[in-house]
Amino acid sequence: MDEWLWMCSLPGFYRKDLERLLQFFETPDRVWSARDSQIAVLPFLKEKQKEILKEWKRKKPSQIRNKTAESGIKFTSYMEENYPPRLLELPDYPLGLFYLGDLPEATERCVAVVGARMCTNYGRNIAMQISEELAVQQIAVVSGMAYGVDGIAQASCLKAGGRSYAVTGCGPDICYPRDHRLLYQDLRQNGGVISEYAPGTPVQPLHFPMRNRLISGLCECVVVVEAKKKSGSLITADMALEQGRDVLAVPGRVSDPLSEGCNHLISQGAGILTSLEDLRQHLGIAVKKVKKNKKNNIKLASLENMVYICLDFRPKSLTEIVRSAKMAPEQVMRILTDLQMRGMVEEISKNYYVLKK
Amino acid sequence: MFSKVLSAAVYGVQSRLVQVEADTMEGLPSFSMVGYLSTQVREAQDRVRTALKNSGIYLQPKKITVNLSPADLHKSGTGFDLPIAVAIAASYGMVKRERLENTIIVGELSLNGKLNAVSGILPIAADARKFHCSRMIVPCQNQREAKAIQGLEVIGAGTLKEVLEYLQSGKTPENPTEEKEEIQTERQVDFLEVKGQETAKRAALIAAAGFHNLLMIGPPGSGKSMIARRIGTILPELTLEESIELSRVYSVLGMIPANGSLLRQRPYRAPHHTITARALCGGGHVPKPGEISLAHKGVLFLDELPEFHRETLEILRQPLESGEVQIARAGYQYTFPSQFMLIGAMNPCPCGYYPDLSRCQCTCTEVKKYLGKISQPLLDRMDMTIEVSRVPFLDLEKESSGTSSEQMRRKVESAREIQKRRMLDRGKLFNSQMETKELEYFCRLDGKRTEFMKKAFDEMKLSARGYARVLKVARTIADLEGAEEIELKHLQEALCYRSTVHMYWKGR
Repeated sequence: MDEWLWMCSLPGFYRKDLERLLQFFETPDRVWSARDSQIAVLPFLKEKQKEILKEWKRKKPSQIRNKTAESGIKFTSYMEENYPPRLLELPDYPLGLFYLGDLPEATERCVAVVGARMCTNYGRNIAMQISEELAVQQIAVVSGMAYGVDGIAQASCLKAGGRSYAVTGCGPDICYPRDHRLLYQDLRQNGGVISEYAPGTPVQPLHFPMRNRLISGLCECVVVVEAKKKSGSLITADMALEQGRDVLAVPGRVSDPLSEGCNHLISQGAGILTSLEDLRQHLGIAVKKVKKNKKNNIKLASLENMVYICLDFRPKSLTEIVRSAKMAPEQVMRILTDLQMRGMVEEISKNYYVLKK
Repeated sequence: MFSKVLSAAVYGVQSRLVQVEADTMEGLPSFSMVGYLSTQVREAQDRVRTALKNSGIYLQPKKITVNLSPADLHKSGTGFDLPIAVAIAASYGMVKRERLENTIIVGELSLNGKLNAVSGILPIAADARKFHCSRMIVPCQNQREAKAIQGLEVIGAGTLKEVLEYLQSGKTPENPTEEKEEIQTERQVDFLEVKGQETAKRAALIAAAGFHNLLMIGPPGSGKSMIARRIGTILPELTLEESIELSRVYSVLGMIPANGSLLRQRPYRAPHHTITARALCGGGHVPKPGEISLAHKGVLFLDELPEFHRETLEILRQPLESGEVQIARAGYQYTFPSQFMLIGAMNPCPCGYYPDLSRCQCTCTEVKKYLGKISQPLLDRMDMTIEVSRVPFLDLEKESSGTSSEQMRRKVESAREIQKRRMLDRGKLFNSQMETKELEYFCRLDGKRTEFMKKAFDEMKLSARGYARVLKVARTIADLEGAEEIELKHLQEALCYRSTVHMYWKGR
């Protein structure tokens, strides 16, 4: 067991390198007890890797275990029971997982919610709604803890009392991006931060596609909220299809670059998510009859209404609103503040306003 | 024989009285000068001797000693040439002594006896009464500057000979070039030219009325600089005291135009973003005022705010709060005034289109990094923030129907009168200068409005400082309408100008 941890912690060794080592030596403890001369003739290792391996062999597996345990990080190899069984379906399942918090249980239902870092307010709202629904249905949200859709989805799931797991492209002891410290803390309490990289491994661009395969691998279904034409979310979706997971995409407007990726997925045959109903049906959740929301019966004075009708779910700048309302700027500003205080309008960025649902 | 002449030296924008003493006695002919002098002053010796000779005065060979007192004050500059020459002439008995009383003499000498202009005349003239002096003799190029001070008799002379003649016989030198001063009242720019930016114009109006700092955020080419340039045209006229205070700074730097007197227009300074911290705030071996002091009582416009060096911007924090800069040098503490109105302009992200995500090409990290260059404490000092968007073609084509600078200035002037009346006994002119005590007094809200602001405070996550700024801006909006009390609508509008740039900071 400690030998597995020892081997998976080898810095600079990726999945394929470890696999070759195992093919040659058969078990991790034999890798550990290999002689230097044996290592020197391994044909599949680079010189640098050989050096690292020789150096690493001086450390005892128990030493590594103590060090890892000290920082609160847990480790599981694929031979063990709590290793998520869904990952074993992948051809390149990780040999071991480092994690903080918990790993998803074998019976736990998981859905990935992924999307663009720079998301629009639309994407933000959809991600929040989906995750809240998933939290209510006691389905865990798996994502990448990144800026934008990923982080929002996970945060709102946790806020609604659900569980969420983050798969990171660095060691689980590193919070990336750093601004997401709070989310990172919460995830440790109500879910987990999972990585195939050993503690201390820094973020590298090539880690992200590999981490994406784990996001889709852990889940039964991947929801793509917003994605540009070329984006990590589309990689996740591709991986999901390869792994035989379902992909659901949230459609957007044709002209919107942030929906290009999703619309493309739909045209390629991915599932389309037009409402939470779609999601529930897809996940086979019995639909309870929910009372329809009461119609918005708030009455607005005529001037307020003139401003209100200029607003949209797409952010509009103050200048734009003033122009289309054809009123004095000071009057528009007063009304906007009023609407904002009444919870009908949200200012999402300096003097950019959207309607609140 | 001993003689004494009054002169003055400029330190920062203040002046100090200097007594120039001369004594002649029998002995080996020599000329020595003492009194903690810089090289510039020491070199006066040769200029004075030659100028005296070329003015037709032959000195008998005697031992001449000159002392500039107080002797512990370091003296520099070329303005001591004339007083030294006069002191020597007086010690030879060529001048009536009573005429030297209560008279300050400043001027640089040319070898042929002509007088040259010096910088820093205005601070000396303005302080003359403090030194109990009622008369001042200056080079004729500087006389208009000195004459700006009321109650001071100014004698402008072209040559050393004229000065000595005046001191001997009382004959006032004639100045042929007594042209009328051209006072520029025409302005080259007007708000009428800004089309379709009604929101930004409204913000500019309020900022000008209350002398509030303003930050404009918008994509490139949306007219931020255009608006900033025109804010100067709607600011209220300078009062005489303000004008003198401002002109002191320009006088010290020698930036008062030839034959000019006081600066009558509020300055507009727009330094490039490569400016160093010293050039912005003042500094140097002998400290000189920087851009923020040149913008005293006027507009300091910083375009492309995030492109400025971080330390350059951070240095602004203290002057923004206290209205002056202090620079310490060995032996002297220099204080320069810096009550300026800071107008900042910036793009919301490196490409300029955020939050329009269909056009913005930046990554999250890039946006954060770009905006992170401006620190929160600096943002906290901006009273108002406004978004400026691009103008659609239709608006550009429209015949201008908006308000002109003239109309706007009239509104500003009336709001300013109200503020002045309200706070004159507290020595304040503008709402932006209000402090906690005044806020409590002049921005008191009744129950309903307090309730509203309490809700806004929680909902909009205002900081204590942000709350005070909203109140100040609301006060100005009320003043623009001539309203006695701050009403709900004023608060609502002021809340729209609150600084919400921190919204960008959140990972979204």
